[in-house]
Amino acid sequence: MKQGAQLWAGLHCPALPLMAVWQLSSVAGPLAVHDAVRGQSRLLQVNELARQHGARPGQSLSQALAVLPQLQTRQRCRRSESRLLEQMALLAYQHSHQVSLAPPDTVLLEVGGSRRLRGGLEPLLDALRHQARDCGLPLRLGLAPAAAAACLLARHDLRAGDLATMQHAIGALSVDHLMLKPDQQKAVHDCGLRQVSELLALPRAERARRFGADLNRHLDELQGSLSTPLAQWRPPETFELRLELPVPTVRSDALMFVFNRAMDTLGRWLEVRDQGLSRLHVRLEREDGGPGSAFDIGLAQPGFDQNRLLELIQLRLDGLKLAGDIDAIKLDAETTRERRPAQSDLLDGCNRNDAWPALLDRLGARLGETGLASLAPTSDHRPEHAWTWVPPGTSLPCHDSRPRPSWLLPAPRPCRRDRLTLEEGPERIESGWWDGQDCLRDYWIARDDKGRQLWIFQEHQPRHGWFIHGLFG
Amino acid sequence: MPSSQPSSNLNELISQRPDLWRGRRRPSARVLSSERGDLDRWLPDQGWPSGRLIELMPACFGLGELGLLLPVMARQTQAGRPVMLVAPPWIPCPQRLARAGVALDQLIVVREARHAFWAAEQGLKSGLCGLIMLWPPRGRVPERSVRRLQLAAEQGPAPAFVCYRSDQIAPPSLAALRLAIHPGPTLELLRGCAHQNEHFHLGRNNVIAWPGIRHSRRSLTPASDGDPALSAARP
Repeated sequence: MKQGAQLWAGLHCPALPLMAVWQLSSVAGPLAVHDAVRGQSRLLQVNELARQHGARPGQSLSQALAVLPQLQTRQRCRRSESRLLEQMALLAYQHSHQVSLAPPDTVLLEVGGSRRLRGGLEPLLDALRHQARDCGLPLRLGLAPAAAAACLLARHDLRAGDLATMQHAIGALSVDHLMLKPDQQKAVHDCGLRQVSELLALPRAERARRFGADLNRHLDELQGSLSTPLAQWRPPETFELRLELPVPTVRSDALMFVFNRAMDTLGRWLEVRDQGLSRLHVRLEREDGGPGSAFDIGLAQPGFDQNRLLELIQLRLDGLKLAGDIDAIKLDAETTRERRPAQSDLLDGCNRNDAWPALLDRLGARLGETGLASLAPTSDHRPEHAWTWVPPGTSLPCHDSRPRPSWLLPAPRPCRRDRLTLEEGPERIESGWWDGQDCLRDYWIARDDKGRQLWIFQEHQPRHGWFIHGLFG
Repeated sequence: MPSSQPSSNLNELISQRPDLWRGRRRPSARVLSSERGDLDRWLPDQGWPSGRLIELMPACFGLGELGLLLPVMARQTQAGRPVMLVAPPWIPCPQRLARAGVALDQLIVVREARHAFWAAEQGLKSGLCGLIMLWPPRGRVPERSVRRLQLAAEQGPAPAFVCYRSDQIAPPSLAALRLAIHPGPTLELLRGCAHQNEHFHLGRNNVIAWPGIRHSRRSLTPASDGDPALSAARP
């Protein structure tokens, strides 16, 4: 692709610090995020409701609380901010292979090469905006042929499709928006420069002398005459997600709200990594630091179906006794390359391939790992060792053609031979000397007084006596 | 004749409802062959009614209720339609099942008796299973659960068998068939229209002869009461 065809989109989340700490909030009320500035806690951002009631960014915390006592505020968390930024990058990665982070609050993606993906630039940007809205991220979108310019224009929701428009748009911005260093900014102000175009009108050498050489480079990058070095972002190799609940709770509907969000992110991650989910580890962390709960959700067939997974989580949550309020959930995904997209039957259109694993998963989620099984024969002469529970759907060949009853008791039970009528037999089984559980038995078919046919044996070794081992019927 | 028109319409309407009792004529019921000609001929619908509940009431477990269904289980699993056994009282022997032709990878056993009704309902609702057999957990059988099961059964093609313990009372239900199993084993039709004999002797062909093993028959005097060891068993 030609260099000139590059077109960068910047995704800017203006309320990132606020979103990061209140992301999943269903709290309706005045919210704010504060940060320590020179030893004093000051509001960094406030939501609309708080603004209406007089809270302003920059106010000290005590002042804000005096103005608005019901204001809920949290300490700024840079870690959750960068996590949120990663989520934005994941969103962008679905539309472009060239994604970079521009911390603290912007993500850049190259859209020139992805124009045809959605049949044009507008549908692509629309799709991005829609997805962001679905994730609850209000975004501003900027567009420019140069990456640095896209980053800047994103803050002002400006779009420039070609170089001339971009230069014009940048020229019209105030110098305050260039995000210069404080001393640089002061110097520019002191010179009486207000607009970027005025700054650009100065000779290069003059600018370098007055404001430092790096300003020239920055302006060149903005103008597109110098390309910006960008570290390419790649989606993480493994999926780990920790989400905090807005309010600690034991209510499963509130938890499901969080899981819903988590599944969005997981689905996006699986899609860009082209992976199928095989197992999901879920941890619920308790607010009081007590032992939380954990459960696994295994899928009979690797893949990802958001609704089905949510249903499985719901089933597990229903069966869980939560001892205390949960304030965070943590997800780890085990994935596999073996991803089979859903296939439908050509003739009846019903997707049986997918429905059966779905049913097994649903049953497994409620019944537990051991609650659901298939049976398989194993090669051992001793009948109690000749079968085993296996995961559903496992196929093992059976070579044993000796007559066996329909039912086996879990373990042989002693019985009184005088109550039974021996009908057929015996079949001698003498085996197991190698593992210390050797036996010497004669198996018979007998009939009891209820008319049932039983499979009984007379044991000669190690103990003596008659035992029932199974039933015909 | 003008009066015949409404009555034929009524007949049509009635025939669309498989859950309506229609005396001896139920020609439209979907059935699944029991894979035994003589049994098919004896059953009121010439087979197991599909999408309906069939209640088995053996005098005690192990009288032949599983053997009765092995042929149809074999056919369904071989055709790729899974069979679900929900909370069986003991362990179905894989060798015996395989020998009867059951594809073991299509056989699912629900071992957790606590959610037996729920699991059976899910299986029926999915419409994927070829046959479902449920042993209700010990104690009173809730009428509501059975009713739900009946509704779920109507959504799929699988016949649903419910096998009651001798001490359990089957709640009133819309089951298509209710069969008692007596020692013999002999089937007795408790519900469903009998067109001939109410009893059907299954014979002993659900027990395989012992080839190549010396036959020795010994008879011992049977004791008066049953063996308590068996009645308490549950996997």
